[in-house]
Amino acid sequence: MHPLFARASRLAFYAAASLAGGVLLAAALRLVAPQPWLAALALALPASLLYGFDVLSAWWVCRAYPLARGPRSIVAQLAAALVASGLWTAAVAVLAGALARVAGFGPGQTGTLRELGALFVIGVPVYLFSAVVHYLLLAAEASHAAERRALESQVSARDAELRALRAQLNPHFLFNSLNSINALVGADPEGARRMCERLGDFLRRTLALGAREAVSLSDELALVDRYLDIEQVRFGERLRVERHVDPGTLECRVPPLLLQPLVENAIKHGLAESLDGGALRLEARREGGRLVLAVENPVDAGGAARPGEGVGLEIVRRRLAALGSDLARLEVRRTDGRFRATLELPADGPGGAGGARG
Amino acid sequence: MVIVDDEPPARALLRELLGADPGVTIVGECANGFEAVRTITEQRPDLVFLDVQMPKLDGFEVLELLELDPAPAVVFCTAYDEHALRAFEVHAVDYLLKPFGRERLAEALARARARRGEAARPTALAAAARGPGRPLERIAIRDGTQIHVIPVERVDLIEAQDDYVAIHEGGKTHLKHQPLAELEAALDPARFVRIHRSFIANVERIARVELLAKDSRVVVMRDGRQVPVSRSGHERLRAVLG
Repeated sequence: MHPLFARASRLAFYAAASLAGGVLLAAALRLVAPQPWLAALALALPASLLYGFDVLSAWWVCRAYPLARGPRSIVAQLAAALVASGLWTAAVAVLAGALARVAGFGPGQTGTLRELGALFVIGVPVYLFSAVVHYLLLAAEASHAAERRALESQVSARDAELRALRAQLNPHFLFNSLNSINALVGADPEGARRMCERLGDFLRRTLALGAREAVSLSDELALVDRYLDIEQVRFGERLRVERHVDPGTLECRVPPLLLQPLVENAIKHGLAESLDGGALRLEARREGGRLVLAVENPVDAGGAARPGEGVGLEIVRRRLAALGSDLARLEVRRTDGRFRATLELPADGPGGAGGARG
Repeated sequence: MVIVDDEPPARALLRELLGADPGVTIVGECANGFEAVRTITEQRPDLVFLDVQMPKLDGFEVLELLELDPAPAVVFCTAYDEHALRAFEVHAVDYLLKPFGRERLAEALARARARRGEAARPTALAAAARGPGRPLERIAIRDGTQIHVIPVERVDLIEAQDDYVAIHEGGKTHLKHQPLAELEAALDPARFVRIHRSFIANVERIARVELLAKDSRVVVMRDGRQVPVSRSGHERLRAVLG
């Protein structure tokens, strides 16, 4: 449906403009075939109104043949102009015949033929003008839509960041940390103080990192270490951490708060759900131009997938999608009682911000 | 009393705070639900401090498996869980929110002692704590001294036997003290269908439905077992299978 038909007011305005064009057309007819104003208007007004709607067909042709298709679209428009003008001229011929028979209007047979020839000649450029206007309107619409899409993706990127932050500062973690501190106060006041420092560090780092677009892997790992320090107090010997971090990766630029949620996920769904705990394995290495980060944890083979499994993973996926990088991906695999989340990123980080080549 | 929590600092805190009370003797400390069921059954404490979130067997499941008469008073401990809090309120169960100090602990202790003997139905409490629309994912069963935690996807068929349900799982059968209707309500209705007054079937384990006579059918399970189907059970089954 042509957008003009969407609102009655627009349609009425367009019809009025077409009728005004009819007055010009009547003047043109009087030049081609001298006749009284009344006779010329009787033919020109309905003819102009009719053509006003005829040229709207350019909208469909414009959409079918966008300008990007080059010469083909110009050929298509020219053909459409000839067809539209031809059909219009034929319709007006019928009207002119009727007017001549019924009311005796018109400049006689030769005059009418000259009129119809003029109409066809006028019709072609008018149609082409309509096509140009439609192309302009469609282009404006497309740029508007692109703008809206850009805005939407910006909003969703912001939204994903906020979610990541909120997940980071997940209430469960905060309450449990407070409880660990609470427990240490009596038996180990020095330990309680250390724990306060660690929690403070973790919160500060989370807020600082979340505000940046890219951080060095060593910064992200420092955040992960603070987090693990705190969880270590909670889980005691159930939590063991194995780090396999290639020193050549430390300067790589990575989006912040991607690794930490994976570690949190490993603790929440892996270690916290197993009786004896186990080793959480943290890997970082380069593979060609790619940075590969992996977090692996034991899972209970007999256990069902717990609800909420993958909330952390889902957040990381959304963040990657919001970052709009096709080069980054997250892969998870569950085999032989181990769960492994692998994150692959370009080693030079977002925007090629530059990192030391290993 | 007995302290149950999988996090060492949380146990240390309760030990420290309760140790100062001359009227309190701690008879056991447990790091998980399995130890808790064993210790509580052996020691018969007056009161249990029970952490909600623990691996494999959570606080609600521990309560379910105790089957002690008289039941010990229970104070649940949790850090943050909206559904559990609502369940505690609805079922008038005592709880402590972490972190807590001496005063809150003393209040909870006093309330729990006063309320002893009015224990809520553990299975109803657990269902409320899971929250609406979250079906049961595993069934905890006690068999003498053994505890089995069966993920629901491994269950083939559930059969009512007087006050018990018999849970058939890969050739084994476990008995649990629970009404069939209550278990039915807790399970995911898209996976488990009440095909008969006495049977709930896991739809994934149904091989076919056989017509014996007009309006008389049996369900044949994957393992060949034949189970009667009532007319309304057959309609429910057809609704789920589409």
